[in-house]
Amino acid sequence: MAYKPPKQSLAGQIFDVLTLLVLTIGALYIPLYLGLAGAVKVPNPIANPTWEALGQNAAEQQQWAALGITDPAAANDIITARFDYSFSWAALIVMAVLVIGYFVMVVRLSDREYREVIEERFGDKKR
Amino acid sequence: MDTWNYLEYAAWALSALFGVLMLIDLVRIDTTYDNELLISSREGEIEATAERHEI
Amino acid sequence: MANVTSTAAEPERLQLLRVLGPAHIWALGVGIVLVGEYMGWNFSVGKGGMIAGLIACWVAGLLYTCVAMIDSEVTSTVAAAGGQYAQAKHIVGPLMAFNVGLFLVMAYTMLEAANAITVGFLLDTVAGMQGHSGLNQQPFIILAIMFLAWLNYRGVLATLTFNLVITAVAFVAIITLFIAVQFGASNVPLDFSAITSDPLPYGWVGIVASLHFGLWYYLGIEGTCQAAEEVRSPARSLPYGTMAGIMTLLIAATMTWYVCSGLIPWEYLGQAGTPLFDAARVTGSTSLMVLLFVGTTFATLASANGCINDASRAWFSMGRDRYLPSWFGAVHPVYRTPYRAIVFLVPIALIFALGAPLDQVVTFSILSGLLGYTFMTFNMVMFRNKWPLDTIKRGYVHPFHPLPTIVLLILCSTAYFAVFLGYGTQLSAMMCFYIVASLWFHFRRYQFVRRGDQFTMPWPKPQGY
Repeated sequence: MAYKPPKQSLAGQIFDVLTLLVLTIGALYIPLYLGLAGAVKVPNPIANPTWEALGQNAAEQQQWAALGITDPAAANDIITARFDYSFSWAALIVMAVLVIGYFVMVVRLSDREYREVIEERFGDKKR
Repeated sequence: MDTWNYLEYAAWALSALFGVLMLIDLVRIDTTYDNELLISSREGEIEATAERHEI
Repeated sequence: MANVTSTAAEPERLQLLRVLGPAHIWALGVGIVLVGEYMGWNFSVGKGGMIAGLIACWVAGLLYTCVAMIDSEVTSTVAAAGGQYAQAKHIVGPLMAFNVGLFLVMAYTMLEAANAITVGFLLDTVAGMQGHSGLNQQPFIILAIMFLAWLNYRGVLATLTFNLVITAVAFVAIITLFIAVQFGASNVPLDFSAITSDPLPYGWVGIVASLHFGLWYYLGIEGTCQAAEEVRSPARSLPYGTMAGIMTLLIAATMTWYVCSGLIPWEYLGQAGTPLFDAARVTGSTSLMVLLFVGTTFATLASANGCINDASRAWFSMGRDRYLPSWFGAVHPVYRTPYRAIVFLVPIALIFALGAPLDQVVTFSILSGLLGYTFMTFNMVMFRNKWPLDTIKRGYVHPFHPLPTIVLLILCSTAYFAVFLGYGTQLSAMMCFYIVASLWFHFRRYQFVRRGDQFTMPWPKPQGY
């Protein structure tokens, strides 16, 4: 007994595509709008910047000049900016649970569907 | 107005051209051919003929 | 339910055109990825310093060597347009396949958007150097996507031959820059003193963090399998093209790191938009600058081109199986391309290219890729368990199983942690997206799918079922 899927109407097809689109765009833009997105480098500019104080040797100063930056003050923010890698263990655990839980869920549901496929494909009538 | 401004307009025009070419062809094909033929492709046809994966 | 063997004899079936050889596979794989050498990888230097950037380059290289080996074996056996999507469908199950299909479409569409953004940025830089400030980047972004979509629409052979040429030029540009710098073409000396004076600005955690963007050196090499239905001899060409591709990239990645780290202060390099072009600027040689400008443009176009190709194949395959509306499963009767999928994905790419910042788009793409690599680990184990080596003939059998799988899983876990450092919100948002989409598929969409028809390979029944 092969499973006979219902025929989908055009409106239904369009509706399904729109659902997926809304989900996709939502996933990308919601973190953006909530302002939660992105790692920010925080500059810690030093007072009275000179190339030496910024730790740039002669060759590096030449390189900065070739990139169009001759004034150490202009490079101050770029050179001193650092990421903040402190994180909360709670957030890490939430993420781990999400990722692992997701894969477990998908594989289990897939397996249920897969048994049906194999049943129908290799069932008694076929071979 | 310099070269870059002209390039901007050229880019707009060409984008529109390629978009319209694709859309016209899409509409033409969809109205000329039967949809059942268009979506008749099936996966695994080469396996059925050439690559049997048998040892 | 139709038997597969009999359907081949029926007339009036539209198929994708089988015209590609191994060189096209190389061009598709390397073409998508090579842009990573021209932009994006350098953020790994920003996240961990110069040494961390090099370690990330090699660790990610190891990760992708595992990916290429695993992928070559499965795909030389499951030769279908969806690539990993068709693999998942035959080996793990329908819901996994739907998710993998989404990973592919997302990863490639986002990468395509990132490429278009880079084209706009690069033209803006050049216009700025010529004294034209405030270039409107939008028309160039749109043109890049429209032109390549049109090219894809018109046929796969022309598309990938075009890719072969521009990828080769971009690759030669990197080698030329490396050799020229070695022979003293640069006015400014190479300087690696930061390796000793400022070795690990973030300590060891910086090395892990930099792996996030280290993936960017190679992201997309697995896209070679999407062309499976258009290759003349998939069992031979796919492993060959993919392996040649990963070797090309390992060479290019190391050269890129060497030239850029030597010529650009790492603090600048870590936030640069177009690092190789900047390195050429530092040398002070106009011809190198022009060459690397051409290289950057070609690399981004080749990548966007390959992405359109791959994303549309995945979308098309899902439509063909009714995972998505069957309307998308159409083949163009003249050009033999999945034309509806190609056209449909154009506005989506435009939404992301015009509306979202580059690092977001890149992260979204990397995450989708990463989820796909995680899938490959258990996919491989299940493949060997359900069909041991003596049950079906494989075009390529990868050595040392299960070592590559284990290495890949460890590296993937590390990469998740690397993304989590700084982009945890996106990771959570993405996981929620895939969970909701999975539930939607399982409880609503799957009713329209024909069960037995999904299994199209002429294989024996899997063991254990």
